[in-house]
Amino acid sequence: MDVSGIIASNAAKYQAITVEKETPLEVDAGLLLVTDLNSIDEESYSANLEDHLQALARDGVQSLITSLFALPTQRSEDGPLAQLPVPTTALPRSKPLPKPKPPTKWEKFAAAKGIQHKKRDKREWDEERQEWVNRWGRDGKNKQVEEQWITEVPANADILLRHSDVDFDPRKVARDERKARVAKNEKQRLANAARAQGPREARKQEIDQTLATTRISTASMGKFDKKLEGEKKARGVKRKFEPTERPLEDEKNASLALISRMDSDAKKTRREPPTEENVLNVRKAVRFASKGRGGVALGRSAAGARGGRGGRGRGKR
Amino acid sequence: MRPLTEEESRAVFEKLANYIGKNLIHLIDRPDGPYCFRLQKDRVYYVSEESMRLSISIARPNLVSLGTCFGKFSKSGKFKLHITALDYISQYAKYKVWIKPNGEMPFLYGNHVLKAHLGRITEDTPEHQGVVVYSMSDMPLGFGVTARATVDTRKLDPTSIIIFHQADVGEYLRDEETLF
Repeated sequence: MDVSGIIASNAAKYQAITVEKETPLEVDAGLLLVTDLNSIDEESYSANLEDHLQALARDGVQSLITSLFALPTQRSEDGPLAQLPVPTTALPRSKPLPKPKPPTKWEKFAAAKGIQHKKRDKREWDEERQEWVNRWGRDGKNKQVEEQWITEVPANADILLRHSDVDFDPRKVARDERKARVAKNEKQRLANAARAQGPREARKQEIDQTLATTRISTASMGKFDKKLEGEKKARGVKRKFEPTERPLEDEKNASLALISRMDSDAKKTRREPPTEENVLNVRKAVRFASKGRGGVALGRSAAGARGGRGGRGRGKR
Repeated sequence: MRPLTEEESRAVFEKLANYIGKNLIHLIDRPDGPYCFRLQKDRVYYVSEESMRLSISIARPNLVSLGTCFGKFSKSGKFKLHITALDYISQYAKYKVWIKPNGEMPFLYGNHVLKAHLGRITEDTPEHQGVVVYSMSDMPLGFGVTARATVDTRKLDPTSIIIFHQADVGEYLRDEETLF
């Protein structure tokens, strides 16, 4: 049986999987990118643009897929996965490089002295509790003294207090020390930020502020002052609103969050008693027993019934 | 037209929660499509996403109304509910009051509800609670605020005020120009 005819017709149906071009196509499998450096064939371009583009695209995709099938593969649940090589085409960065942060005072000092930065873990091993604990923050080790239910009073407690009339409170002392450290750190952070800004910027801000204050410090709040040429209008705070065409899903979530926050605020102000333990609704019971006159009236009448000192209650009974 | 800021949303939600409580969530998280609150010329409108998107293209001075007007902000930033919000409030109302047929007309002319006109009231209504007022045939007529808790109403004389009037459907005729 001669099958060559069938094979030939089958082969004619499918185009060759190899792409032959004057300049071979450049394939960067890492980025799934194919670059065609050949000049455009003007004849086929002007004859039928759609067909020309389709042929170009087909060649490109074919060479990309050929190169993909040549890659090493890995098995997975969804079938074999090709492992892409490292991209060879260098893409330009869209944003400029971030500027290095200006060094803090400590960083300058450390650099001058050659002190290396040691990264400390957030967690620390607690020998007594035999577990890892936070260095700071929730249940932090720096709060250990002030959260202890019993604390040793040092022998020199009265000297530490220097004749003040309150008792020595080790928890308060520890807490004050910690708060002072936090305050000092914040002060240093602000000073570093001001230093990073530079003296010129700080001075400029100060002058702008003074100018704005002086301009409205006249009897007419600056309304009838002579204006200098080219003097700008003082700018107030501009209100900013959310855009109307924001996705409604965001808005819904924001509203639900606001409602839950309002709920928790309301709970904070009037704390409800735990319902599991109290089978009896005390408020309702008082209302019922006093026939709606309230707990004070109930107490008064009860005192009257006992023959108590309340003269008014006794008179009625 | 713009979305509400956080303070504005808070004012609106607090006022609505006084009438419908936790059901407020059902107004925001609706199964039948997204709805939102929009502010246009100090009025708050409750509007579906579709008509909101359509009205974006209408200039502010030309936009008269959209969706359902829920109320307006006063100059001092307080939110006042309008009677047009009754459809939604009556759906989800937590506390209800039914008034007798002879009390309907006085209420619809903008008067407070007296004890003599009180038909039924939800059990355990606290004092100063927002309530929806219905006729005896279960038709929503308006809303108000209770002057006394339910238990305290028993001892009052018939001419004392039970519900302070806030809005009634008569306003559709009385305040036709300014309502929407």
